[in-house]
Amino acid sequence: MDATVVADEVSRTFGPVRAIDRLTLEIPRGVIYGLLGPSGSGKTTFLRMVVGALRPTEGQLLVLGRTMPDREVAARIGYMPQTAALYPDLTLRENLAFFGRIYGLRGRKRLEERVEQLASDLGLLGWVDQQLYRFSVGMLQRASLACALLHQPELLVLDEPTVGLDPVLRRSLWAHFRQLAEQGKTLLISTHTMDEADRCDLLGFLRGGRLLASDTPAALRRQTGQADLEDAFLALAGQPGIPVGEP
Amino acid sequence: MSWQRVLALMLRIVRQFRRDRRTLALILVVPVLVLSLIGYIYRGSGEPTRLAVVLESDSPLARQVIALLEETSSLHVTVMEREQALQAVDRREVDGVLVLPSLPVQPGTQPKVELILEGSQPSAAGAVVSAVSRALPLAIIQTMSPSGQAIQIEPRFLHGGPQFDQLDYFAPTFIGFFAFFFVFLLTSVSFLRERLQGSIERLIVSPLDRKEIVLGYMLGFTLFATVQSIVMVIFTVAVLRIHYAGELWLVVFLTFLMTVGAVNLGIFLSAFARTELQVVQFIPIVITPQGLLSGIIWPVDSLPRPLQWLAQILPLTWANEALRAVMIRGEGLDALGLHLAVLVGFAVAMAALAMVTLRREVA
Repeated sequence: MDATVVADEVSRTFGPVRAIDRLTLEIPRGVIYGLLGPSGSGKTTFLRMVVGALRPTEGQLLVLGRTMPDREVAARIGYMPQTAALYPDLTLRENLAFFGRIYGLRGRKRLEERVEQLASDLGLLGWVDQQLYRFSVGMLQRASLACALLHQPELLVLDEPTVGLDPVLRRSLWAHFRQLAEQGKTLLISTHTMDEADRCDLLGFLRGGRLLASDTPAALRRQTGQADLEDAFLALAGQPGIPVGEP
Repeated sequence: MSWQRVLALMLRIVRQFRRDRRTLALILVVPVLVLSLIGYIYRGSGEPTRLAVVLESDSPLARQVIALLEETSSLHVTVMEREQALQAVDRREVDGVLVLPSLPVQPGTQPKVELILEGSQPSAAGAVVSAVSRALPLAIIQTMSPSGQAIQIEPRFLHGGPQFDQLDYFAPTFIGFFAFFFVFLLTSVSFLRERLQGSIERLIVSPLDRKEIVLGYMLGFTLFATVQSIVMVIFTVAVLRIHYAGELWLVVFLTFLMTVGAVNLGIFLSAFARTELQVVQFIPIVITPQGLLSGIIWPVDSLPRPLQWLAQILPLTWANEALRAVMIRGEGLDALGLHLAVLVGFAVAMAALAMVTLRREVA
């Protein structure tokens, strides 16, 4: 099966700053790929390149087989940016209807079904017809996620999707992510918490724009000899020379 | 190009407007309010100009002068003693003092009429001078030959008419100006918000392309601008009873062309603003020169030559000329080829700039 995301020596600079430095990775279909790293390590920059909001300065980045930005592929990606990025003066239903139509979701009935289902999955039932400015941070986060999931995309790119959520909800969201992966969807999720990292199939350690390692959590533990992922990350960060992906 | 996506964007803008009652009131009520105010200023009866007349000696001619002055509308005439009149003008109780010498004058002496003006308010001073310079010669002719007639002027108007006043002259341009101003302001603020709240990024990574974004915005905002111009046309014609000779749909159409340009100018300029206050800072650059130079208040022909050149490059100048041509002179589309070309050119150029701006969103 073709990989969903293929990055080959991808770099991105902002003026003198190298936000992503010769990053190479492959994300197969149907997995949850976690991008782990401290803030400022380039997670968001990489995700924005994957969805086509930024162009790589160097290297090649293929998403669903095409170089981004690409309008055909855009319809098959769901993106949840770090901030809610929705219209606060509109209700959740209106926001979803807008993005639904933009992503080519046809038919009022189909749209209504999706809205109801997402609202119930994300614990937002009863808030569907409320304007978003009334929402709390955690609710906005879920509304934003609903927008990304709406059109049932093949690739979901989620930038720290569970920030500000309570543990119960966080758990139910991850169960949902797992379900999506089992349906063959690919998820690219950035995070900086270790318990979430452990739930991913594959994990990329990012620091200073460089990918320190990319492997399964178990392999990363083995490779570094650390039982704890956080220690594993620190061990890798301390020895950037370790060959990536080889135990 | 997908019309479903364009319509989705338009529908969203319409929805946001409907939620935003205050802005809705701003674009529909404020122009009507401003027009009513201007109408009242021009057509309501204001405070009269006050003139004190000092008679050095009573004579039929002097009485005739006073009678003629009293006939003048919006002029209030009081006969006073010299000292009293001078004090009154000094205390600004009257706007001018007319001292009529002993009339008729002695043969061989130069007749001299003294006119003292308060002078700090040019329009009052002007009104006094014009009333006096009309009344004096008329009084002399009438007194010298009691049956005599002054020269009769019979005006014949090609356009407008005897009732045609400043308000009739201004009103067509106000319709264009308000549409341009509000659409520009609302689009740039709304686009800036899109950028601030990050939703522009969602749009950029969505299947929407730049053409669809620009088109959706254009449809959404021109819809409201068109509603606005229809309200203004109805109000000016039905309530203010503004003179009009041409087809009113042409007025709405010209306004529509203007707003297409304004939407795209808004999208373009919003790229150079980081806060809403910075958008407001564009008003002195974009709106004020056009408000002053486009012929709304002072006809472009009456401006100094360099300003006329400047006026020629302002789109609103062309819109105003066309709006006046339609409303005052009743001209049709066939006579407005150049104006239409300029307005369409402006709209297309601004749309191109807006697209360039959007391209820069994918950095």
